[in-house]
Amino acid sequence: MDADFHDIKILETSNTSIILDNGAIEEIATSFSKRAGVRVLVDGSWGFTSTDDIDAIDDALRSATTLAMQAHEKAPCTSFPIITLTGPTNIRHISKVKKDPRDVPVEEKVQLLKDIEQQMKLPQIVSTNVHYSESEIHMIYTNSEGAECESKLTRCGFGITAIAKDGDLQMGSDSRFGVCGYEIFNRYDALSLANDVATAAVQLLSAKASPGGHLPVILDPKLAGVFIHEALGHAAEADLVLEGCSILKGEMGKRIASELISVHDDPTLPEFGYYPFDDEGVLPARTTIIQDGVLNHYLHSRETAARLGFPKSGNARAQGCGIPIVRMSNTFIEEGDASFDEMVEDIQYGIYLIGSRGGQTNPGEGVFQFNAEKGRLIENGSLTTPLRNVSLSGNTLEILKNVVAVGNDLKYHSGLCGKNGQLMPVSDGAPHIMISSAMVGGSA
Amino acid sequence: MMPRGCDMGSIVERAEQAGADEVEVFHVDGKVTSIDIKRDEVSLAERSIIYGMGIRASVDGAVGFSSTNDFTKVEEVIENAIRYAAIKSQDAGDWRGFPSNSKYPKVDGVFDKKLHDIGLSACIDLCCEMIDGAKSVERAMPTSGSFACSSSTRTICNSNGIMVCESGTLIEGSIDSVARDGDISTASEFDISRSLDIDFYQIGFNASDLASRSLNGITIESGEVPVLFRPTAFADIIGHALVPSLSADNVQKGRSALCGRLGTAIASEELDIIDDGLLAKGVGTARMDDEGTPSQKSSIIVNGMLENFLYDCYTAGKDARKSTGNGVRHSYSSAPSVGIRNMTVQYPPTDIISETSHGILVSSVIGMHTANPVSGDFSVEARNAFMIRDGSICEPVKSLMISGNVFELLQKIDGAGFDVRAVGNILTPTVRVSNQRVIGSRG
Repeated sequence: MDADFHDIKILETSNTSIILDNGAIEEIATSFSKRAGVRVLVDGSWGFTSTDDIDAIDDALRSATTLAMQAHEKAPCTSFPIITLTGPTNIRHISKVKKDPRDVPVEEKVQLLKDIEQQMKLPQIVSTNVHYSESEIHMIYTNSEGAECESKLTRCGFGITAIAKDGDLQMGSDSRFGVCGYEIFNRYDALSLANDVATAAVQLLSAKASPGGHLPVILDPKLAGVFIHEALGHAAEADLVLEGCSILKGEMGKRIASELISVHDDPTLPEFGYYPFDDEGVLPARTTIIQDGVLNHYLHSRETAARLGFPKSGNARAQGCGIPIVRMSNTFIEEGDASFDEMVEDIQYGIYLIGSRGGQTNPGEGVFQFNAEKGRLIENGSLTTPLRNVSLSGNTLEILKNVVAVGNDLKYHSGLCGKNGQLMPVSDGAPHIMISSAMVGGSA
Repeated sequence: MMPRGCDMGSIVERAEQAGADEVEVFHVDGKVTSIDIKRDEVSLAERSIIYGMGIRASVDGAVGFSSTNDFTKVEEVIENAIRYAAIKSQDAGDWRGFPSNSKYPKVDGVFDKKLHDIGLSACIDLCCEMIDGAKSVERAMPTSGSFACSSSTRTICNSNGIMVCESGTLIEGSIDSVARDGDISTASEFDISRSLDIDFYQIGFNASDLASRSLNGITIESGEVPVLFRPTAFADIIGHALVPSLSADNVQKGRSALCGRLGTAIASEELDIIDDGLLAKGVGTARMDDEGTPSQKSSIIVNGMLENFLYDCYTAGKDARKSTGNGVRHSYSSAPSVGIRNMTVQYPPTDIISETSHGILVSSVIGMHTANPVSGDFSVEARNAFMIRDGSICEPVKSLMISGNVFELLQKIDGAGFDVRAVGNILTPTVRVSNQRVIGSRG
């Protein structure tokens, strides 16, 4: 039996991280790694071998072929015709950075982090953390169709955390990461961001517990972005649809959200989820998941596209030399025309949820839960009492249908998304959105 | 045995010559076989070979770290570690040294030769058993699953004369099921062990059975009720909301709600929590931790009183005491930090469900990673929850949120079951909390 398809990925990475804790260096570390991943498809079954020995690609290819054949013999999978590449098969992308982080002495980076830390020294701040990381990933991708792709991507960024104490403890945090070099510090004002983070932590000390129940809410761009990524984006991943684990199964072409809502995934945007080709050698393009409230597209790998009879893919990604799976890139809610002030004015009694401490979703049942970093009570059209530990939960499709206003202030936030044990850089984008009714829970 | 690709002793010597006061080389050599399941099919078989090393060097009371799996870069890695240590020493010279002259205890059940030698074909058979179990329940089907088994050897060599090596094996399987009958409900189940003694059919059956039993749930009103957390749910809560506060690193940095609470009551009187690096067959068991400190058993909470925090070498040095053997690394490419080994929750067991006249049984929670690790506040969605009435498990409950604070929760524990289970490296029975705030979707 012959293999239907194989691909080989070779990665060389170098990574440096610095952690400053309470103003003192906690860690400076550099790691180098070389790794190869080889994937073979035999009649619907995949075999995969990854190894730290990149000089033994032939062995890895043999091993992956044997694995695929054994898997096929033991427990045959439904076969599928792998779709052939329609775009270019030779893609070369060497990212141009304005300032290569490796040219900046470690001592200078440490000093900058110390300057950032100084901005957090407010009276009630008892603890601070600043971390920085830079990585360069050199990837060479080849496959049995003759594709030859190469990329060098530099990623760089920083994160800030401040803890305030007054009886109890409250935390503020923020981060900025991008596909760029050390110029990230020109793009964002890290010093004022640090001050904002510390101020937010201090303000949370006097914030009140949130009321619970079904209320009108406004989500800020960060939380709305997390919502669209977690609750909708994951459900639009075609592997979950195929597993029967997505509420979007069977909904294609149907109205699933307020007609104010359009959602796209776009790996070509210069945000943290950018990639020049996906981990199957496919040239990526924008995918419109929802257009004016109607479900338009799922996100695909070559396998899911073939299995669902869809002509194109471009969302297969892998952490390091892991197995490529369907992933988001830069996922965002298209801008509307409402202003934030108008939204607030329209609410008699509700909650403005700000920022995110993360969240989780069950795409199969369509339920989600997120914790906002903080909130504000809205009374008679005005922002009033500051709130802490506000959470939002409910049914994804209900929330999407309950969107009554979409703001004109789209913002992107960088993050790492976890799926099947692999972490990928992504960004979530959204403007402010207003929801007529959502379940809010306090944790007081 | 000489680890593949490098002579650790000579690296230690070279780093000392290059100016390090102390040196440590941590080396890993391992292999992993993993299988992915999509619906009821084996969709991917994977093998990976992992080897590499991390080097720590100390200079003037500070430590620097660098790692590689490219052994042509060893000189650069040594140089980085020394340079970083020197930069760091300008801030604080509070490093007290790597372990020395250690005697290592004997541990049982960490290496299974059968698991080390297992072939792909046998692994696929185990996956098929798990799939069969999941398909054996009416109305339910598996949606995805995973299987992994690994065998690896860690070697630690330092300039204080330590040269210690240990091999371990691990096998784990997990599966997600969905049940449908108009309504839709999901559940997942898993098991993990150091040897080939897992019942894979049972994992599959349990996932589908739980999904099926969760169909057509009722909604309830918000309020304060007794809640029984199954081991999976309780381990998730403890792991995310309590464990960070037990780390000496967080305590020393003022990032723990337990600062200054040693010797005081922080939990229900009958609750004990122990961290045991020596536990036979434990997922976190080994003769030594990841910086060569001999493993030990540490009492953390005894009769509700906080007795101890968890220490690695660095945090122990700062408090002028000995490491508790809790220096843990995620891989050779990360420096050690404080982590748990096998954390065991103990409470006098009873037939807890039949002793509960009214309450809610929660199988697992989602969103625990959003807990506030400093204050212990959490707000999560309960999954696969059931009403308990007159000592029996009754109808499933849909859309239920649970919010609270782990330190308040610890004080309100008033019962536990016999069903102690290892949820990864946290071992716990079902635990009952006397009154817990729940937010139902009926207002």
